[in-house]
Amino acid sequence: MLKLVTCIKQVPMVSELPWDAKTGTLKRELAEGMMNPACKHALEAALLLKNRHGAHITAISMGPPMAEEVLREAVAMGADRGILLSDYPMAGADTLSTSYTLARAIEKECPDFDLILSGCYTNDSETAQVGPQLLEELNIPGATFVDQFEIKGNTIRMNRTVDEYLEILEMDLPGLITVSTHQYNPRYASLSGVEDAFNRADITRLGIDDLGIEPEMTGIKGSATRILDVYSPTTEKKNDVITGSPKQIVEELFAKYDDKIGSAIGKDLKDYE
Amino acid sequence: MDFNPCMKHKMVRKTVREFAEAELGPIANDIDRQASFPWEVIEKMRPLNFFGLQIPKDYGGAEMDSISYAITIEELSRVCAAIGLCVTVHNSVGAYPIQLFGTEAQKKRFLPPLACGERIGAFCLTESNAGSDAGGVETSAAPEGDDYILNGTKIFVTNGGVCGIALIFANIENSGPRPESRVFIVEKETPGFIVGEIEDLCGMRANPVSSLFFEDCRVSSKNVLGGSIPGLRIGLTALDTGRIGIAAQALGIAQGAFDASVRYSKERQQFGKPISSFQTIQNYLAEMATQIDAGRLLLYRACALKDEEKPFSAEAAMAKLYCSRVASEVTGLGVQIHGGYGYSKEYDVERYFRDAKVTEIYEGTSEVQRMVISRSILTQLT
Repeated sequence: MLKLVTCIKQVPMVSELPWDAKTGTLKRELAEGMMNPACKHALEAALLLKNRHGAHITAISMGPPMAEEVLREAVAMGADRGILLSDYPMAGADTLSTSYTLARAIEKECPDFDLILSGCYTNDSETAQVGPQLLEELNIPGATFVDQFEIKGNTIRMNRTVDEYLEILEMDLPGLITVSTHQYNPRYASLSGVEDAFNRADITRLGIDDLGIEPEMTGIKGSATRILDVYSPTTEKKNDVITGSPKQIVEELFAKYDDKIGSAIGKDLKDYE
Repeated sequence: MDFNPCMKHKMVRKTVREFAEAELGPIANDIDRQASFPWEVIEKMRPLNFFGLQIPKDYGGAEMDSISYAITIEELSRVCAAIGLCVTVHNSVGAYPIQLFGTEAQKKRFLPPLACGERIGAFCLTESNAGSDAGGVETSAAPEGDDYILNGTKIFVTNGGVCGIALIFANIENSGPRPESRVFIVEKETPGFIVGEIEDLCGMRANPVSSLFFEDCRVSSKNVLGGSIPGLRIGLTALDTGRIGIAAQALGIAQGAFDASVRYSKERQQFGKPISSFQTIQNYLAEMATQIDAGRLLLYRACALKDEEKPFSAEAAMAKLYCSRVASEVTGLGVQIHGGYGYSKEYDVERYFRDAKVTEIYEGTSEVQRMVISRSILTQLT
């Protein structure tokens, strides 16, 4: 039976949240949480595999204690087990220390996995980094933004859209894919599933001692990046009036804007001089 | 005493809300106008256990607690009360009496098709001369060998037009001056089971409420619910549970009207400002929110008592009495906040306003609820 791991993140349900200026992180406690949409698509892809071929699905998440909600939701939808990585030293992690922590937990709890599925990016920070960093940490092959895939034997064949092209890739398992939101529309959890997710679900909560990792390697201490500032971009419109004879106007227009016009029409205008 | 919803109840709300908004939201006004029953949505609801909310897992249900049940009905009704009605009647008075009073054979035979929604349930007590007076039932059951022959007419049957299994209250013929009543489990294919025309009602129009006629309808004695249990006892017990469902439904309608009104009051501009900046509108919103909250607390208390297997009849009656009144008042204020648009079918609040009224009437009128409540007060030992 296939052994699948889906990485799931809880994200705030609203788009605009107060920012903690001291730590440069979101004040998540002020919002209701939800399962990150792309993670939900990844979970759906795993559930389809389970329906077709039979599979054991472990949903794993790192986050505050309330992230347990999304693991229970994953179980309600059909995952078999949930693992929550939650510990004070894990707080404030960037993508590097998140993927480090996830990797150590997967090595410990699901060492014989066949495939890890994660969302292609999260709605709250949109870095799309955790998937690729995780496969580096685990030293396994992977592909990102996978639209559709199928598994035959020990091989996974994937479709992904790159610019305007459809790319078909194959790789050996074990591996990792990040799933796009183009296919695999998530199912609704059944009400019986919700009951089971609370009455008989297997949810494990692990801290740094359980994983045997040093506090310096995780959370804000293990992070290589710091968010210095976050603000909503402001845009303004300015009219630029060019006067003169038609020839002068055209020359001045091109002198000022040839880069922008060129990029808009996809040609380098300097080639035409 | 903990007033915070637990993680499970939050998830039940989220799960049902997500479904209702996505699947019922876009069609709620259309099915109301066309008075059509949305089989395609029912099809999607079946595997999600909407038709087996409290039925035990062994029979294919979700085995939910009563607060989860109330939340489910609330959230469906917040978007589409007619479907909230279909689900609550099916579960509370269609399936629950079989779960509670049925013999093992009856449970095994009837609960699985009800739980998976393959068959929709209905409860048939009301007749032209019987309603609040449940003792006035005239439908008769004449014993004949191992069978009974049913004759009579039931009116205002919720789910009547789509039910697959109906619970029929009838009096055993020639059973003396105070006739013995029984509840019969009747499948719609039974010869003599005739569905009347769909009623043209003010609200809940997507629910096919109809009359059911029984003309020499032969039913096996195996279908007498609970064997010799008096029908009135089954009926009154079922209605206690039914009231929780209707209170939840009324609350959902009120919440839907309230949410629409908050949104509208922030968008609608008059005198150069959103109308939510005017104190009158703020007072309306405050009043609506307070009533809804109070109703919700009454309702969840009744549910908690039921789950603790304590008496909850008076509390369920209080919740039904109050929540249905709240539904009428809040939807009325909702229309008022919307002004002329609120009186137009273009806005949901018009539908909520029409749907609300019947919650004060069916499954025990408000007057009957007061009777139940006062009886419980006056019979208490002091």
